[in-house]
Amino acid sequence: MLIQTRELWKTYTMGTEKVHALRGVTIDITKGEYVAIMGPSGSGKSTLMNMIGCLDTPSSGSYTLNDRSVANMNDDELAMIRNREIGFVFQTFNLLPRATALHNVELPLIYNGTPSETRLDMAKRALEMVDLGDRMGHRPNQLSGGQRQRVAVARALVNNPSLILADEPTGNLDSKTGVEIMGLFDRLHKAGNTIILVTHEHDVAKYADRILHIHDGQVSRDEDVRNAA
Amino acid sequence: MRQFFDSAIIALGALWANKLRSILTLIGMIIGVSTIIAIVSLINGMNQYVAAEIQTLGATTFTVDREGIITSEEEWWESRKRKKLTVEDYQAIDEVCVGCERVAARSITRRSAKYGNKYIDDVYIMGSTPEFPLIVDFEIENGHYPTAADYQHRRRVAFVGYDVIDNLFPGILHIGKEIRIAGQKYTVIGNGVRRGSTLGQSKDNYIIIPLSTFEKQFGDRRSVDLFVKAHTYETMDETQDEVRMVMRARHKLKYDDEDDFSITTAADIQNLWDNFSSGAFLVMIGISSISLIVGGIVIMNIMLVSVTERTREVGIRKAIGARRMNIMWQFLAESLTLSIVGGAIGIITGFLIGMALSHMSGIPLGVEVWSIIAGILVAGGVGTVFGVYPAMKAARLDPIEALRYE
Ligand SMILES: Nc1ncnc2c1ncn2[C@@H]1O[C@H](COP(=O)(O)OP(=O)(O)O)[C@@H](O)[C@H]1O
Ligand SMILES: [Mg+2]
Repeated sequence: MLIQTRELWKTYTMGTEKVHALRGVTIDITKGEYVAIMGPSGSGKSTLMNMIGCLDTPSSGSYTLNDRSVANMNDDELAMIRNREIGFVFQTFNLLPRATALHNVELPLIYNGTPSETRLDMAKRALEMVDLGDRMGHRPNQLSGGQRQRVAVARALVNNPSLILADEPTGNLDSKTGVEIMGLFDRLHKAGNTIILVTHEHDVAKYADRILHIHDGQVSRDEDVRNAA
Repeated sequence: MRQFFDSAIIALGALWANKLRSILTLIGMIIGVSTIIAIVSLINGMNQYVAAEIQTLGATTFTVDREGIITSEEEWWESRKRKKLTVEDYQAIDEVCVGCERVAARSITRRSAKYGNKYIDDVYIMGSTPEFPLIVDFEIENGHYPTAADYQHRRRVAFVGYDVIDNLFPGILHIGKEIRIAGQKYTVIGNGVRRGSTLGQSKDNYIIIPLSTFEKQFGDRRSVDLFVKAHTYETMDETQDEVRMVMRARHKLKYDDEDDFSITTAADIQNLWDNFSSGAFLVMIGISSISLIVGGIVIMNIMLVSVTERTREVGIRKAIGARRMNIMWQFLAESLTLSIVGGAIGIITGFLIGMALSHMSGIPLGVEVWSIIAGILVAGGVGTVFGVYPAMKAARLDPIEALRYE
């Protein structure tokens, strides 16, 4: 099992009030799955995603990723897990504005000490995989939205992570470009990558094999849609 | 390392983009470091000068004169009331002093000298007894010093320095020629080797003539300076006491009266200088530490602004796996770059200031490699110390909050 969560709770304290963003989420995801997390705004999708992505730790409950318990790791241990096991794709791309596409993609490799020649090779290959072999020297502001998101996907891929996490990856793109990006995820999935995608659009969710519906911080339905589309 | 260079290049780019702001940011750094460089260079230059002076005087030599080393106006007025020293004092010491290897007297004035239609103004005319050039080394290049016979017979003979040759005898043989000093004819009998200059003053600007001749031409109103060389360094103190006793007896001082003359050794000059230079060092340390602290605080503020502006960047870096140390280094590299650039500008400014002061005062500039290294290290140290807090702040940012920052 790649991902195992048991009774995950996340509680934020706002002054005297307690906000439960997650209320006991228990899910299992195996290697190679393509899962969409769907739900209305404020239902806890991003919170769950951050938890799975080791950006955040739960208030209670357990989480094992690749058979390693993550819930009690410290900052630097989590950083290492994020670096090796997880590739993030964000709604707002989150590229370094002053760095070239190549450098942006190279960045995760810098933080795990990959030697520089290997690093450049790997970054170039990742950019070629998203069809940006001819845009390596461009900065984000010299690229279109779709191209930026493809750079972000290349960055997520470059380390061969166990898991690719995308939080509303098409949210800032027009529908045509969105379809392009979803096509890219399809390809990655077919190549054997595990993908978890957050969205509130049904059109986007249908690319996945499985949809986890979230309401009020709880999984309300676990839907198998492999043969639906 | 790569990360360090990246950060350094980003920092340099930002500096260059805001030149005026950068200079203002770095001004504390620049003042702090340039003070170190300028003062160390000047003090070191003075050290070389003092060392050279002391070497000319020698460790076994001391002088006796009316004034001594004057450090205030009062001392000067006080010294004016004292009895002047005379040729008879010299003779008395020379006669009885057992510890003295050599004794000499010298009187000095500044006059012009002339050969044909060629002039030199303001030469130091030194009327001296025969042993003077042997005690205060004027190495002979040609000819000889005035002899005891020249002294006895008040001959008008002159042993000249190189400035005199350069001005009066360019390309002409000078030994045996007659020059005029303040109107009187003198025969050139020798010259010293070229000695160069210190503190912007030539050390070749002299003419040595017999003291007897000097007093005949210029009168005996001047107080002479006495030069004494002891046999060994170990007997310096005894010899000074001997000379002191002779002088006190001749001036009829009672046992509890203070000396009304002054004995100065090379060590005294050294001490005086050491006191002054350690004072200057303290002033330097004061000025530069205040400027460096101010500079450090400014850098810290700039870095705090930079951390805030780049919160999102920190979030991105953390999300893809940067550890605290990575972020820490990135920002430290930046403040280090800032401060070292400030330090480097300070070093250049310091040298320019030192050169300007040296030009105005004649103090030679003694460039010290250690002061450059110290300047860089101090600047880098300040950058690091004041960069730690902003860098820690960045390193501790929560990735989710940082990513959400607009
Ligand atoms: N840092 C936080 N502090 C307080 N409340 C938060 C914080 N992050 C999220 N929440 C709350 O948790 C709930 C779930 O948020 P989120 O996971 O972002 O929802 P979604 O991504 O599904 O729109 C929301 O009610 C939100 O207001
Ligand atoms: Mg969300």
